[in-house]
Amino acid sequence: MGPIIELKNLTKKYGNLVAVDHNNYQVMEGEIFGLLGHNGAGKTTTILMLLGLIPPTEGTAIVDGADIKENPLQARRNVGLLPENAGFYDNLNAKQNLSFYAELADVPEKVASDRCEKLIDMVGLGDKRPVKVGAYSRGMKQRLGIAQSLVREPKVLILDEPLQGIDPEGTRDLREIIRGLSKEKGVTIIFTTHVLYEVNRLCDRVAIMKNGVIAGLGTIPELRKQVNAAEGEDFEQVFLRYQGVV
Amino acid sequence: MAGFLTMAKKEFYDIIGEKKFLLIFGTLLIVILVSTFQGGLQYSSSQSSTTTTTTMPGGQVPGGQGPGGNQTRPIQFMGSVSGLSQALSSMVTNFSLVGGVLAIAISFDTINSEKQRGSLKTLLSYPIYRDSIVYGKYVGGLLAVALVSVVTFMAGIGVFLGVTGLALTMDTVLRLLIFFGVSLVYMAIFLAIGLLLSIVLPQPSTSLLASMIVWLSSIQLIPNLGYAIGQILYPVRMTFREGGPSFTMQSGFTTIRAIISGLSPSTAYENIVNSILTTSELQFTSNQATIVSVSVDKALLTVAPSLIYFVGLLIAIFAVAYIIFTRQEIR
Ligand SMILES: Nc1ncnc2c1ncn2[C@@H]1O[C@H](COP(=O)(O)OP(=O)(O)OP(=O)(O)O)[C@@H](O)[C@H]1O
Ligand SMILES: [Mg+2]
Repeated sequence: MGPIIELKNLTKKYGNLVAVDHNNYQVMEGEIFGLLGHNGAGKTTTILMLLGLIPPTEGTAIVDGADIKENPLQARRNVGLLPENAGFYDNLNAKQNLSFYAELADVPEKVASDRCEKLIDMVGLGDKRPVKVGAYSRGMKQRLGIAQSLVREPKVLILDEPLQGIDPEGTRDLREIIRGLSKEKGVTIIFTTHVLYEVNRLCDRVAIMKNGVIAGLGTIPELRKQVNAAEGEDFEQVFLRYQGVV
Repeated sequence: MAGFLTMAKKEFYDIIGEKKFLLIFGTLLIVILVSTFQGGLQYSSSQSSTTTTTTMPGGQVPGGQGPGGNQTRPIQFMGSVSGLSQALSSMVTNFSLVGGVLAIAISFDTINSEKQRGSLKTLLSYPIYRDSIVYGKYVGGLLAVALVSVVTFMAGIGVFLGVTGLALTMDTVLRLLIFFGVSLVYMAIFLAIGLLLSIVLPQPSTSLLASMIVWLSSIQLIPNLGYAIGQILYPVRMTFREGGPSFTMQSGFTTIRAIISGLSPSTAYENIVNSILTTSELQFTSNQATIVSVSVDKALLTVAPSLIYFVGLLIAIFAVAYIIFTRQEIR
């Protein structure tokens, strides 16, 4: 399987601050890819550039065969996104929200209704069907966000801090969803998180960002080896070494 | 354009389902019904007493500093002279006030509410162009405004015809249709202003305030400014004769004032509509005044510059909103 995402010198500057600094790496098809880094490292900026929400200052990226600068629409056609702090239309319930997105994604009406129902059950909101999203808790909204990112049945799924606000049961379910999509459907999954435990369990490969620069890239054993981590040393320790903290 | 219809449909239903919409719609409807009822009564009485020679202010403040003041028009003495224009003048004034408010109430948070909610990022991650989002939202708003206009016009004109018993001629229908069209454009302008401010300003509360300031400028500030600047450049001349002092306005005053206040969408709207609805006017020849009828064509020709400005303004505001939104960083 070849690369489905390829960053080529991808850079974003805000004045003097280089939020993403000449990043070059690839994400392979069907892989579960973790994008890690301290607060403000540039993870969200990278993701928003890949989806065409903010333009790169320099460099570009190829997503699913399309250049994000030249053909942003094609680049995001098969990409599902759970944005950081996603919000919904409070006056609508889960199904109505999802149906709107399904319509935007051009999902045929007949397929859409069924798919939305299944997604609602999948993220554990089955018993909240009549409830308007305005009355949702934070974690419930996050679950709905995950369902939203799957409405288009994307080839690439990008989740920006999907574990935010989600309870342990939801975390377990999400882990199973991510594994299932990757193994059974060959979906490529990129996610950012600060929960290293989950990274350790889930990710095929990881990129560690530090102030916009890629400080480490590879499988977890590779990353451990590069910093000469001792046998049984916690992944948190390894991560902090890449961050230059220890 | 993928996503356009979906966006327009959602926007339209969102708007008409809101309480604020129903509230302002109701207010507009009541105000228009009352003013057309009164206008109808006035029209009927002026028609029955043809010898009336009183000055008809027609909603205008003497001296003409009211928002609708239009000194370029011939002074009208009798209801039968200006016809529909005078009878419907308070409907026009009210529409320019409340119609503007309604359009602003609909559009002031179009984009920034999506940003605040955190749903704009999601929206933009779909394979649709940003064009579809601005166009869709704008057209959704336009449909809501059109719905309001159709209902208010039908009701208002219905009441007017009922009270006056006026028979609808082709000429009248044509004038009313143009009146309706221009009113739509007027609301579309305020819709675009709200849209633009919702794109530029991150907080809905700020964009609401800014929109209200623009609205106020349109109905009050710019016309007053026109008056003031006119006075400064061409002050009223005072001369003394045997009977006492007399005041003469210089013609430059009227021109400057008309140009500056005509920049306000509300004044432009009222000028255009009043001209279109003026069926006849007084013409002075040597020693006597005769009433001549004004055809729709002639009226249109007179207001052509204002009309072009009016439509141009709409296009310009929307274009700026569009350009800013399609280039904006969303995070
Ligand atoms: N609009 C902006 N103007 C200036 N700087 C910005 C802007 N948006 C983001 N930044 C800066 O870019 C850097 C990267 O931010 P980004 O949101 O990508 O971080 P992140 O890795 O997602 O962090 P977190 O883990 O907190 O979500 C930060 O230093 C941030 O302050
Ligand atoms: Mg982030």
